[in-house]
Amino acid sequence: MTATVPAPAAAVTAPWTCRAPWLRIENLGVRYGEQWALRGVNLDIWHGDLLAFIGPNGAGKSTLLRAMLGRVPAAEGSITWSEPKPRIGYVPQKLSLEAAFPLTVGEFMAINHPGSRAWFGGIPKRERPAIMAALERLGAAEYVKQLIGTLSGGQFQRVLIAASLLQNPELMLLDEPSASIDRRGSEDLQLLLHELHASLDLTIIFVSHNLHFVSHLATRVGCLNRNFCGLGPPHEVLSEHFLAEAYGSLLAPGKFHFHPHS
Amino acid sequence: MSAFWNYDFMRYALISACILGPACALLGVFVTLRGMSFFSDALAHSAITGVALGFLVQEKLSLAVDPMLCVFIFSFALASFMAWLFHRTTLAADTVIAFSFTGSVAFGVIVISYLGKYRLLDGILFGSIYANGPADIVKQALLALLITTCLIGQMRAYTLTTLSPEMAHVRGLRSGVLNYVFALLIAATVAVCLKMLGALLLSALIGIPPAAAKLVSGSFRSMLVVSVLGGLIAACLGVVASWHLNVPTGPCIVLTNVLLLALCYLWKLRPSCST
Repeated sequence: MTATVPAPAAAVTAPWTCRAPWLRIENLGVRYGEQWALRGVNLDIWHGDLLAFIGPNGAGKSTLLRAMLGRVPAAEGSITWSEPKPRIGYVPQKLSLEAAFPLTVGEFMAINHPGSRAWFGGIPKRERPAIMAALERLGAAEYVKQLIGTLSGGQFQRVLIAASLLQNPELMLLDEPSASIDRRGSEDLQLLLHELHASLDLTIIFVSHNLHFVSHLATRVGCLNRNFCGLGPPHEVLSEHFLAEAYGSLLAPGKFHFHPHS
Repeated sequence: MSAFWNYDFMRYALISACILGPACALLGVFVTLRGMSFFSDALAHSAITGVALGFLVQEKLSLAVDPMLCVFIFSFALASFMAWLFHRTTLAADTVIAFSFTGSVAFGVIVISYLGKYRLLDGILFGSIYANGPADIVKQALLALLITTCLIGQMRAYTLTTLSPEMAHVRGLRSGVLNYVFALLIAATVAVCLKMLGALLLSALIGIPPAAAKLVSGSFRSMLVVSVLGGLIAACLGVVASWHLNVPTGPCIVLTNVLLLALCYLWKLRPSCST
């Protein structure tokens, strides 16, 4: 498998291609007004992928996630899901909530629980076991009574991932999970996502600016700048050639060195 | 209290306060959560235009239309127009609200001037809870039932679409429909409560109890409970105080709500809380 510039769908294959892809994106174009955010994007996603999108600000990484979710329409091209469509969990970068708003972690989890829509705050008794199990799995059970606006970046990401696990997803999409997390927290998050990927057979697609985080976690990397200028295994895509193409002078040659999985 | 209870208009005023105080406070929790206080304030003020159009239809087209229905239709149309502008243009939300609301109020005042009904403005702006009758109480009870059913019945959906539209989308929640239902609830509240508090003071009933509850609550559940109870107590106290102090009821309800906010602020400042 080689990194390609740009990557046509048929060429962007993974070792487990004996089955049909879960998602096929062909010649996708998304625009906001007259401005193209994505153009000519081709991508196949398979069950078991651990795929990262990297690229500079405005490269269309989050737009690609939103297009996959169906939140932004394709101006051209197509996005085709396999049948049956995998269950999706989404982990946003942040919530539209002021820090002082009194919403506890437990209540945030209850909002995300796939129970009835009626609710009056708190954690309903019958939902408590599932909520606590999801928080414990992420090592976040101790925050259950804490206000969500008071969590640190790492704690907040754990809670968001725990909330998305309540949907029992097969595919998890994460928008900048390593943003606002220090190096130690970032390493913890890598281990956590690796563990979820392995133990829950979870397919993971994430967006990140943190190239060290990407190099340690992803098995495939898509280097995006409105379309893929590189797509393949980390040791190929996280090279000066592709990074310089995506980031230009923002990332000077030699500034990043690929670290293989430990 | 016995003298107070002997008058029909005071009994009706107190019943109205008991119904609308908690219902508006519940709606207000979601207005606060969604950061829509300015939006609901704008709709309340635009009720002036709804009433003016109601009288215009009555006088010029000789149709017996209830001005309250015109307020509801106009408020919902204005809310939909503003929502359309938010999504279809690059204008900031507060800019859209500012010109929509001032423009509609200006239009309403011109219509009132054309009809020669300037004295109506007093009632529209400040309301008159003593004009309440049994029919109004029924409308208010239906509104309270509608707010409670829609918000508590869909509370997870409303909260999640506010916190993260993407997470809500993944869950299959239709945020567009929920947003329209929410705008409809605000429009209905404006139409029904206008008679009680008037366009200028109505926002207090929606905005102040949740703001007070937010100061003293450690969870969403406690914010809901404190807000609803606070809305009930402040509205009832306002009616009773207005009788004893012989002052207008609408402003008195607003002031008891402000007092509630001040008490909650003081509670938050108590030593065990600030350390």
